[in-house]
Amino acid sequence: MKDQLARWPVRLVIGLVAPLLLIFLWQWQASAHSVTFAPPVAVASALAELLRNGDLLRDTLATLQRAFTGLAIGAPLGVAAGIAMGIWKPVDRLLGPLLHALRQVPMIGWLPLIGLWFGVGEGTELIVVSMSAFFPSMLNSHAGVAQVERRYLEVGGIYRFTTLQRIRFILLPAAMPLVLTGITQALAFAWISTIGTELLTGAGSGLGVAMQTAQVQQRLDIMLVVIGVTAALGFLINQLFRRLRQSLLRWQPAQS
Amino acid sequence: MNPHPHAREDLAQAAASRGALTVSGLDKSFDIGGKPRKILDGINLNVRPGEFVSIVGASGCGKSTLLRLIAGLDTDYSGELRLDGDRIATTSLDRGIVFQDHRLFPWMTLEQNVELALLNTDTPKSRRAQIVADHIALVNLKGFEKAYPHQLSGGMAQRAAIARALVTEPKLLLLDEPLGALDALTRVHVQNELQRIWMAQRSTMVMVTHDVEEALYLGDRVIVMSPNPGRIRRIVEVDLPHPRDRRAPLLHRLKDEILAELTSGADAAESADNLVHLPSREAR
Repeated sequence: MKDQLARWPVRLVIGLVAPLLLIFLWQWQASAHSVTFAPPVAVASALAELLRNGDLLRDTLATLQRAFTGLAIGAPLGVAAGIAMGIWKPVDRLLGPLLHALRQVPMIGWLPLIGLWFGVGEGTELIVVSMSAFFPSMLNSHAGVAQVERRYLEVGGIYRFTTLQRIRFILLPAAMPLVLTGITQALAFAWISTIGTELLTGAGSGLGVAMQTAQVQQRLDIMLVVIGVTAALGFLINQLFRRLRQSLLRWQPAQS
Repeated sequence: MNPHPHAREDLAQAAASRGALTVSGLDKSFDIGGKPRKILDGINLNVRPGEFVSIVGASGCGKSTLLRLIAGLDTDYSGELRLDGDRIATTSLDRGIVFQDHRLFPWMTLEQNVELALLNTDTPKSRRAQIVADHIALVNLKGFEKAYPHQLSGGMAQRAAIARALVTEPKLLLLDEPLGALDALTRVHVQNELQRIWMAQRSTMVMVTHDVEEALYLGDRVIVMSPNPGRIRRIVEVDLPHPRDRRAPLLHRLKDEILAELTSGADAAESADNLVHLPSREAR
């Protein structure tokens, strides 16, 4: 029975129950309040329209590019900072308090200030997205290195590991599960803050920009298409990363 | 297979310059609740090259501490610790250790774990794979080279740890209750393996255990320690050639003697002292 539930076609069907129910309720309600609610049929035709004129593709690509560029800048910096803080106490003492204070400010909260410095545009958005990828990567990597078991470090002592060997063969691999957790979170944060900054700055193209434009034009159908695409893409990216994580951590005993 | 005592002596002579351990006047204290507490008191011990020495004693007699000091994992001691005349001041590739928990790195395969021990040796890179394969074969783990530690049973993981410790060909191999976490059957099996490996390698071995039978089965000599503070109470010569028969009457007689020594050892006053004071000390 348990095995049956685990098989992917079964999982797919079960996973689709809630969305389909939602669409049904939505169609039913939308017919009753047609002014504030677009029915699924209208949304489907909006989707077809956006696909035809290329708007959806352009916006999606712009958002993906922004999110992944931010991730590519913020996550490695965060991992490096977290590991350095975990290995060298002075670095932790020097940077820890500042970084822990700064991370209390919601990322969107930085937008006005950074916008003032760098102007509303691509640069500002990228800085905010990078920052939101930085903090979860840093925190988890730090925790990952800090919790490496002493008994493994002793083995490194027995075999006369140098500092670099200790980092490469013990600290990094032992911290890897949490480092990857950090990057997974960074991915989610980068995705959310990309949409958020696009919504607020409304410059260029992107899914957030499209949402904002649709709001101004009162195109409920388009808004719902964009929300759907955002949710689906976010889910898909997260799944892909989970796969990657599993193959990188195949040395871990299977978790059930 | 080498049942002849003479041949064994020849081998021992060939290794004469390797693995002679000298412990003299060794004291060790730990700071417990701000007060120094003596763990080891005046330990004197000479281990001959190629000898297998077992150390038994109740928990808390400092036998594991002694091993950590010899390994160089703890360097805060007074007295003398020398291997082949050189004072022990830190860890060294000359001294290998097997812990009670196997301590294989879970993120590496068995093969990678063993090879990692060679990282800082001057073994040529081209020969490493062969040496690693030989040692994996030595502990009977052929076919498991690519297994991750979590895929190995407890006994297999412990044998892998022994292979890792031996691959650097240390002059002295320290075994800190290496079989303590294994079930009784696996334990007997790995004991036999250990005897076979020691006979093949003839490096000096010092094993700490709380199992008197195991100590006698493997050891040329058995050091009996008493606790609070840790002292050597008695040294028992086990005059039986290897490989040994577990049923040998001598082993059983010596076992009874040592057990009597260990249990009667703490006389009434001492054990009463323990009962009264141990909990309050822990509470502090």
